Amino acid sequence: MGGKVTCTLGEVKNRADFIIYWGGNPAECHPRHFTKYTLTQKGKFVPTGRKGRTMVLVDIRETPSAKAADVFLQVRPGKDFEMVAALRALVKGQPVDPALVAETGLTVEQLQDFVNQMKSCKFGVLFFGMGLSMTRGKHMNSASVLALAAELNAFTKFVAMPMRGHGNVTGADVILRYTTGYPFGINLCRGYPRFNPGEFSTVDLLVRGDNDASLILGADPGATMPQPAIEHLARTPTIVLDPKVTHTSKISRVHITTAATGVSAPGTVYRMDEVPLPLRPALKSPYPTDEEVMRRIREAVMKKPAWLPAANGRLAARA
Amino acid sequence: MLRITGGKVYDPAHGIDGVVQDICIADGKIVADVGAGRTLDATGMIIFPGGVDIHTHVAGAALNFARGLTPENQRAAAPFLHTKDLRMGLGGPTPTTFATGYLYAGMGYTTVMEAAVPVLSAKHTHEELRDTPIVDKACLVLMANNEIVLDLLEAGETERAKQVVAWLIWAAKVYGVKAVNPGGVAAWKWGKDAKQMVSPIAGYSTLTPAKIIGGLAAIIDDLGLPHPIHLHCNNLGAPGNVSTTLDSIKALEGRRAHLAHLQFHAYGGDDWHTMRSEAVQLASYFNTQKHLTADAGAILFGNAVTITADGPWQHLLYQLTGRKWGNIDVENETGCGIVPYTYKGSNLVNAVQWAVGLELLLLIDDPWRIFLTTDHPNGACFWRYPEIIHLLMNAEYRRECIQKLPPKALKRITLPDLTREYSLYEIAIITSAGPARAMSMPQKGHLGVGADADLTIYNQNPDGAMMFRYPRYVIKGGEIVVEEGDLRKSIEGREFVVKPAFEPQIEDYLRPLFQQCYTMSFENYPVELERVHGLQMADCLPRG
Repeated sequence: MGGKVTCTLGEVKNRADFIIYWGGNPAECHPRHFTKYTLTQKGKFVPTGRKGRTMVLVDIRETPSAKAADVFLQVRPGKDFEMVAALRALVKGQPVDPALVAETGLTVEQLQDFVNQMKSCKFGVLFFGMGLSMTRGKHMNSASVLALAAELNAFTKFVAMPMRGHGNVTGADVILRYTTGYPFGINLCRGYPRFNPGEFSTVDLLVRGDNDASLILGADPGATMPQPAIEHLARTPTIVLDPKVTHTSKISRVHITTAATGVSAPGTVYRMDEVPLPLRPALKSPYPTDEEVMRRIREAVMKKPAWLPAANGRLAARA
Repeated sequence: MLRITGGKVYDPAHGIDGVVQDICIADGKIVADVGAGRTLDATGMIIFPGGVDIHTHVAGAALNFARGLTPENQRAAAPFLHTKDLRMGLGGPTPTTFATGYLYAGMGYTTVMEAAVPVLSAKHTHEELRDTPIVDKACLVLMANNEIVLDLLEAGETERAKQVVAWLIWAAKVYGVKAVNPGGVAAWKWGKDAKQMVSPIAGYSTLTPAKIIGGLAAIIDDLGLPHPIHLHCNNLGAPGNVSTTLDSIKALEGRRAHLAHLQFHAYGGDDWHTMRSEAVQLASYFNTQKHLTADAGAILFGNAVTITADGPWQHLLYQLTGRKWGNIDVENETGCGIVPYTYKGSNLVNAVQWAVGLELLLLIDDPWRIFLTTDHPNGACFWRYPEIIHLLMNAEYRRECIQKLPPKALKRITLPDLTREYSLYEIAIITSAGPARAMSMPQKGHLGVGADADLTIYNQNPDGAMMFRYPRYVIKGGEIVVEEGDLRKSIEGREFVVKPAFEPQIEDYLRPLFQQCYTMSFENYPVELERVHGLQMADCLPRG
């Protein structure tokens, strides 16, 4: 089995001499990634900066990030999983079928060369984006690149990290994990957390029309989710907390304008490597913070009579 | 105000061994007498000071990583339902924060020490501890692989290293210093380990694990931290590692220290096939070294999740077990590895490990220097402590368990020859009075006037597992949280922090180095004081 072998971004800056971006376009989506963490910085053990590092980009088309790369490997759309499988076999020195490799749009020689570079680096890192994790194969793709990185540790130091973005999505993931045990796709209807991605994830609930109201915080599903999900949001009472007008707020029943976190509201943001950073607001806002609004909603809800039957109000048996 | 009457009191710090006497509580403290107020009739019951866990992993980035890595454990765990007074949560090997507080309090433990905090993610650890109710908390910061500190130790700049260590302790808002696999985690950043105490570490020319241990122990004594160096020795879990453990003790050069999860460091043999217990050798040496304390780090058969800053060991365990592997290297400071693990009674190595934990607890003659832990969740979950207590108190039950071990294991262990049985008084020492003393917390672990009113009342039961698993009452800071065996109330706990003395100019030295090593601005690095919930400052007493 794989798992997740990773590091904080400072380790990449200080040590990484081999950097892979897979299914992502950091030049446009994470524009500070190259300059702050991965490529151009001089690190403690990479004193020459960019000269001391090799970058490989794997993607289905030549994005602006390809300009920054030393090697660009163009994989055929939807063939990422097959490519990882071939790489994992080559890492272990097992034969691969050239016909199967050809389906990925690459040759065995190209993959063998890629594997040789991975094995011979001192510290390798593989960043993967939504072009890998949200296309055909989805979480199986993520699991396979994580396994690839884990297995490479039999030869050298190698780590992997998802290229997360969208505001504080990592922070939400982190806090849900310590309060409920799960990162997302959680159902609390029974009074305790249950986890089932695909059943309880937001997009699935909305597409099936399972929920009869939505409260949306720090996200704009109206811009990214499939049409049936958006229609369900429009059809049912939807409340949006957001500093600005968004696609979602336009179809919502209620839009509460809140102060922008980091600009006019304090808080904590988690980087993609789960390192927390404090936010210190530079400006004052006439609007309340998200936290203030949530607290007031909660206080109002707490005044309502409890609906849980008393028999359920007992502590469950021990774990 | 509360008066507890008729209970048999076990308060080893005052030499009270099962004496029936009243205990009075006012304003969260034990007092000599109270006038009016509630009286709790504890006739026929046993009264202990609230449990103190000196070494556990209950909060922080590593534990939260483990939660994410093992949803199957959470799914299998019994849930805590949301009620008017309690928050929902899940148990299992890595319980959610609220469940952690309820499980500890439900077992009569009222103080816990989170034993592994990197400075870089300390903000997150404090956030989790804020959501861990009822129990009081303290943290240890990881220091033995911090490259800024190691560079200074290699250069022989001990005074500046001391300033940096003091600054880092205050930056992380913690109670003490933990040294995990000194030098080994730094070496792991290059895929290496540090197994020899006197060989230079990968990336250094003269610095050895022994020098890191000696250097840090001296700094901690100079700063006068209440808790001595909390040492996780090199070569954890490996056959034949007892020699490394003995060398580590020698590297301390007579300075005080606490040795963490000693069970994992007491093996003989050359490989997995010849591994045997060396508890006798280690315990007899330890018995002569009066400046040391240790915790057991016992294992129990069943599911566990191994979480440690010892990255290279976790990579080995991943290769051995073929199970999931989580690893996170933290820039400049430390790392962490996670592998789910199942200890099996039929497995020779696991059987030896099981015996070693109990042997150490039975062979170390002074209960004030060896404490009950499982290195939760590494050896077993903390809520299984009562099972170990039962094994310690009942030699007959122990014999029954030994009979189930593989016959081959019996030649590798000495447990079958040990007849010692712990008394209730000794259990009160290893679960409360002893660890509180080793942590230098004068308000914890006893029931004298002025102590925090943290105490646990049990129904007397010959089955120690049953007795200690289900306390009748648990009182924390004067509040009755468990009543008639039922967790009825949740209160907030406090957090203990020390501020050792340092010169503010040390920041001028650190700032440029920091900009080189890290990826955030220097000002964002220290934990803000307001992030520590229920802050309780403790004193430093520098030792000349």
